Amino acid sequence: MRVSFSVNDRHTELDIEPRTLLLDVLRNELGLTGTHAGCEQGVCGACTVLIDGVTVRSCLMFGIQATGRSITTIEGIGAPGALHPLQRAFSECHALQCGFCTPGMVLTALELLHDQESPTREQIEAGMSGSLCRCTGYVTIVDAIVAAAALPKVAHEAGR
Amino acid sequence: MTKTELRAPERTAGRIGDRALRVEDEPLLTGKGEYVGDLRRPDLKHIAILRSPVAHARIRGIDVANALLLPGVVAVFTGPELADAARPFSHCLPMIPTLQQITWHALALDRVRYVGEPVAAVVADSRYIAEDALELIEVDYDELPVVVDVESALAENAPKLYDDWPSNDLLFIPFATPNLDEVFASADNVLRERISHHRITGVPMEGHGALGEYDPATGRLVVHASSQQPHGLRTVLSEVTGIPENKVRVVTPDTGGGFGNKAHFMREEALVALVAMRVPFPVVWSADRVENLTASIHSREQLHDVEVAYRDDGRVLAIRVRIMADVGNPEVYILGCAPAIVTTGLLAGAYDIANYGYELHCIVTNKCPMGGYRGYGQPQANFTIERSMDLIAEQLGLDPVEVRRRNLIPDEPRPFVSATGSNYDFGSIHDQLDESVQLIDYEQFRSEQRRALTEGRYLGIGFAALVEPTAPNNHALAGRFGCFEMAHMIVQPDGHVNVQVGTKSQGQGHSTVFAQVAADALTIPINHIDVRDGDTETLPYGLGTWGSRSAVMGGAAVAIAAGTIRDKMIKIAAAMLGAKPDAVALVDGAFLAGEARIAFGDVANTAYMHPFLLPADVDMGLATIAAYDPRNTDPFPNPENGQFDVAATYSTGVGVAQVEVDINTGETTIDQFLLIHDCGTVINPMILDGQIQGAFAQAVGATFFEEFLYNEDGQPLCSTLLDYNIPAFGNVPRVTVVHRETPSSLPGGFRGAGEGAIIVAPSALANAVHDALRPLGVPIRQTNLGANHLRELLRGAEVKVNVLAGVGDPQRKPG
Repeated sequence: MRVSFSVNDRHTELDIEPRTLLLDVLRNELGLTGTHAGCEQGVCGACTVLIDGVTVRSCLMFGIQATGRSITTIEGIGAPGALHPLQRAFSECHALQCGFCTPGMVLTALELLHDQESPTREQIEAGMSGSLCRCTGYVTIVDAIVAAAALPKVAHEAGR
Repeated sequence: MTKTELRAPERTAGRIGDRALRVEDEPLLTGKGEYVGDLRRPDLKHIAILRSPVAHARIRGIDVANALLLPGVVAVFTGPELADAARPFSHCLPMIPTLQQITWHALALDRVRYVGEPVAAVVADSRYIAEDALELIEVDYDELPVVVDVESALAENAPKLYDDWPSNDLLFIPFATPNLDEVFASADNVLRERISHHRITGVPMEGHGALGEYDPATGRLVVHASSQQPHGLRTVLSEVTGIPENKVRVVTPDTGGGFGNKAHFMREEALVALVAMRVPFPVVWSADRVENLTASIHSREQLHDVEVAYRDDGRVLAIRVRIMADVGNPEVYILGCAPAIVTTGLLAGAYDIANYGYELHCIVTNKCPMGGYRGYGQPQANFTIERSMDLIAEQLGLDPVEVRRRNLIPDEPRPFVSATGSNYDFGSIHDQLDESVQLIDYEQFRSEQRRALTEGRYLGIGFAALVEPTAPNNHALAGRFGCFEMAHMIVQPDGHVNVQVGTKSQGQGHSTVFAQVAADALTIPINHIDVRDGDTETLPYGLGTWGSRSAVMGGAAVAIAAGTIRDKMIKIAAAMLGAKPDAVALVDGAFLAGEARIAFGDVANTAYMHPFLLPADVDMGLATIAAYDPRNTDPFPNPENGQFDVAATYSTGVGVAQVEVDINTGETTIDQFLLIHDCGTVINPMILDGQIQGAFAQAVGATFFEEFLYNEDGQPLCSTLLDYNIPAFGNVPRVTVVHRETPSSLPGGFRGAGEGAIIVAPSALANAVHDALRPLGVPIRQTNLGANHLRELLRGAEVKVNVLAGVGDPQRKPG
């Protein structure tokens, strides 16, 4: 089935089986392997992407459902040598260890910072609560989001 | 923990002790990490595994004909087909006479013993098609009776997992110091408790996975696997496949957590290798979450019947324990009993208890194989002794801190030799306990606790002390591998450095910390040093990352390699400067002799490009492979007394938990957790604190959230992260960490650090919960303290539990 959508601001058209999850379209058809399959049950948040600026679990959505939409994956947020300020804050606060959950964390935090300019720690914990991390124990992720919220322009770049 | 502040990266400094930012972060933050599931190959085929839906059965037959007809299916394999051409796994421990010797294959041959056991494998163009084909395979199971708990498994007429064994006891080990019975007989008091340790699992966010490529023209096999021990996996794959080890290469790319679950050599990894040799395509398998939860590695489940002899003044004289470890299906290498063996060595904890005996039974049941998880048998030992200390204090009406003071290992002598033969090399635990009492303001807490009780609020405090063997010898648990590590260091002609290490990182930041170790010796910036791991082709051998060994063993190997390189460069620099080597110093990236100076990179360049300038006794190039073994560990117990010293060095700590228990909901709130921690010389405090906070989070999970359950038919009740709850945002407070640095005597002075918090925190948390509920008389004898369990215990103590209390009350805290 022919679908077209925008991925990281690039128009994309391809043929996919209707049953193919958006997660697998991104990873296997488009080579965007920064979107990770953590549970494929919609629980862990590792596969989170932004669709029209809103977080979506790409393991709970078929690729064909993204027709006409604008998808942002972690590859569209920053690049080595040109990190997004939020990504830099993650590094500076040691908010990642194995990095497997990190793309989903970054994208979820971007949406949160778009919705709330200077969230409290409690608001961050509530807003991030759908994303699981097994390495860090979470507090440094909250540190990073607090630090990034204090920086100018982070909210502007939340993909909307 | 120090307050985190944003500041400029310190990549150009980065010596030992610096808060250097991680060199790993940029690719991981931008989606450029490369995990096994991210690897792409032309014509890559996908493996899906058919797993047993029943806990115990004979396989009468498997019909794969319909699966083979499905378009896109390349091949289907069953156990006997693969077994015909492969060699079986074993535990490699024929020298243990009380261990049942078994062999097994990648896929079940004619019997399954747990839900999730691999039965058949489909190879197809996509994972989708492969999973479709699984539905078309028909297996005729002849179901057998099931055992899912150790006591039933040891009952007289219990169903047996292995017909030719006398019972379901896989391993039995007894041990006792002399005159143990007499000590018990003459003691003032004996505490007798049954303490249960519940089943949990590691849940790395990335499950196991492997990609296999075989080239029949050269006979070379390459397996990319998400493993904590790539070199060990190479050895095992060589054995299973029959391909000589020089033609097997194992590569472990970025790894999404391991936590001990990936320190085993999996049947699926062998399956991928064997399938790759039989189809003309590269093949990949990635565990999905159901496979990860139900059919990888479980941990912890033990029952302890413990007796503690103690005097009226609180001094403990002796411990005797019967340990029944539920090892589930035993077909896993490294032996699933290994953590329970570790438990036996640590029942005395941080205390001076000379008289000790144990009886270890490792019992097979129809459950997922037991194996490693961060802490590796230590949390169970710590919990039992630390609970016992509090129960003794309660019996005697003494303060639990005071009872600990009367029993802690004295500051002198060192080494202190434990009852099981460990040579303890650590600093003062008394000082750590004193510091913890002072920092948390114990007296103030006690008065606050009394005041809160008058308001119907239940506050508690719990202490636990930690002695943690780090960098252990693996010989007695794996039948080989020992306790050594290697590092390969190359200074390139431009002065930039490559380091290859054998301690594969799963996210612990090894490329940063080992660069700091090398930078410290070579005095160059860490961004001139590229540390890589996880490729068997670039290093002769390595033992991987487990047992809090990487900083100790890998760090020592890197330090030794850097020292060798530095000494050689000093000789070259001396010749270039016309000075004697002992007059040359390496300072901030330059070799100095008096006023004369030559840059690090110029010396490196000379070593390759101008060999005629080298002294006669110095060969060309700048490369070395360091091999390090502390040579202070025992590969096996002393046959005469059963004692053995397992670890290269020991870390210590004291944990203090302050909690509040809501007796209506059973919910526990952790108000504070303090950890005094001594892991010797700190390489990178940011990474160390990250390890501690992460291990603490897993301890919080193990205590309040996580519990792997089976029903009586052996069906796992936790197959998603909705039924197996790991901690989430808001569940884990920040640990307050105080570092003490008592250097070990090993190169670099390091001690292991990754596990301390997960070992000591459950004990301190349970002691705090017990303390909170003391006015209600609710004794804690179990590790699972989730709200449901506490409500059950409260009801058992005839406390009226009103779960609806506070509902509709706007003052009530959410969650």
